[in-house]
Amino acid sequence: MLTLILFNLTNGIILGLFYVLMALGVSLILNLSNVINFAHGNFLALGGYFAFSLAPYLGYWGAFIVAPILIGVLGLIVEQTMIKRVYARPHVYSLLLTFGLSFIIQDMCRTIWGVNGLPLSIPNALNSPLSNQFFFLTGYRIFLVAVVIVAVAALFAFLGFTRVGTRIRAGTFDLDTVSALGINIGLLRALNFALGIGLAGLAGVLAGGQIGLNPNMGDNLVLPSFIAIIVGGIGSLTGTLVGGLVIGVASALTSVWWSAGSNVVMYILMVVILVARPRGIMGEEGMMT
Amino acid sequence: MTIALEAEGLNTFYGKSHILYDVGLKVKEGAITTLLGRNGAGKTTTLRSLVGLTPPRSGKITIFGKDTTHTPTYRITQNGVGYVPEGRKIFAHLTVEDNLRVPQERPGPWTIERVYQTFPRLAERKMNKGRQLSGGEQEMLSIARALLLNPQLLILDEPSQGLAPLIVKEVFRIVQQTKADGMSVLLVEQNVRASLEIADYAYVLDHGVMGWSGTAADLVKDEERIQALAGASAEEWSFDDTLSAAETEALAHQPHAVA
Repeated sequence: MLTLILFNLTNGIILGLFYVLMALGVSLILNLSNVINFAHGNFLALGGYFAFSLAPYLGYWGAFIVAPILIGVLGLIVEQTMIKRVYARPHVYSLLLTFGLSFIIQDMCRTIWGVNGLPLSIPNALNSPLSNQFFFLTGYRIFLVAVVIVAVAALFAFLGFTRVGTRIRAGTFDLDTVSALGINIGLLRALNFALGIGLAGLAGVLAGGQIGLNPNMGDNLVLPSFIAIIVGGIGSLTGTLVGGLVIGVASALTSVWWSAGSNVVMYILMVVILVARPRGIMGEEGMMT
Repeated sequence: MTIALEAEGLNTFYGKSHILYDVGLKVKEGAITTLLGRNGAGKTTTLRSLVGLTPPRSGKITIFGKDTTHTPTYRITQNGVGYVPEGRKIFAHLTVEDNLRVPQERPGPWTIERVYQTFPRLAERKMNKGRQLSGGEQEMLSIARALLLNPQLLILDEPSQGLAPLIVKEVFRIVQQTKADGMSVLLVEQNVRASLEIADYAYVLDHGVMGWSGTAADLVKDEERIQALAGASAEEWSFDDTLSAAETEALAHQPHAVA
């Protein structure tokens, strides 16, 4: 029983970390640009496929580094050519735009890489379980946890300590005043969008090694990452971090006793939080703290 | 005297409502120009038009000889315009230090170190969040933030709003100091008498139309107009260069003084 709980707890943490990477990106874009990016999960899938196609040339490690960067650059291009045109318009425009984008990217993946799943092979060194008793603790899972910790720490350090990061945090509160202080907010939004999309790309590379690649692989992660943002508190990145882990672990632990309930529990959790504490777990801190 | 900023025939709208009607004004270099008017006269809209936050639908704005009518806000401010918005607009969730790290610093005498020397109170509260500051401290922070762009023209929107008279004096003293440092100043105020005492030129805006312009000295003599501007709640106190002993004492405990 203990092993079963540990097994599911580990699964929950892994799942939660994917939610966290996704939700942080969605949150960054939502907070600064007021755009809910429905295509976020498709950028995740693209990240996995890019790594798959790059790996024969660059090796796994090269692809692991380059694919998320390319996805970030792609995000920059999408922001500059499409997303920035709807900033001044009501929400429904950006919702429709990213919704459409989501279908376009998904079909693009189908056309290029096929409808069937593809494996993203990982180096053997990462593949073996650490011990027989804890068969679920593979080197890859530990690697995955380490990468997410490093990425999240780097993101928080960037936002907390660099000038650009400080400006992004200020911009989530009042973009007009940021521009009145001599900051090019168009550029700030573009960078921030690219950063959020790059995180989705990274999540895609990591997910590919765990569950393989398919054109819909991001879909199961999009809704939970919105839930993670709401549970954690809109506007708070720390909240998003906590929210992602909480729903990941809650859903995996539920499946120990009630396997059909693993998805439902996230929504129940969201409803409970919304009723008991409408601003979310960390919502009181306001914006991005 | 050369002109720092000139606006001609500005017509500005919020959506469909027409706010400014052919508004024109000049800010002379090295002088303090005050823009007065009652609540809702369009003072804030005028300033927002000048810095490009609410661009005019027609008219022309020239700042330091460049046509900036269609220039984005960040370019206008990077060009040497400091803007202290209405209501101070402090980033409430950021620390004082982080608030000061937002502006695009331009080379010049103002650095974060100098801000801390000039406003020791801000140095003391460096690690406090913006929302934890008093109104006076927030105003200092808002002015300091704009000064970090090392502007040649400083635009202030009602810096005295909601502040105790003693703090207002301190804020006005800072504004006077920036003029002494060679900056041109455009000051929007409801505090008519106080702002006329430090201003060289004055404009009066009424329902989106520029109703009066001239030297501050001339407007001071026009008691009737001042009464009308200040409204029923005509402020009794006036800005005075000499502080009473009690005020000096109080200031010593709240050091905002310009070094």
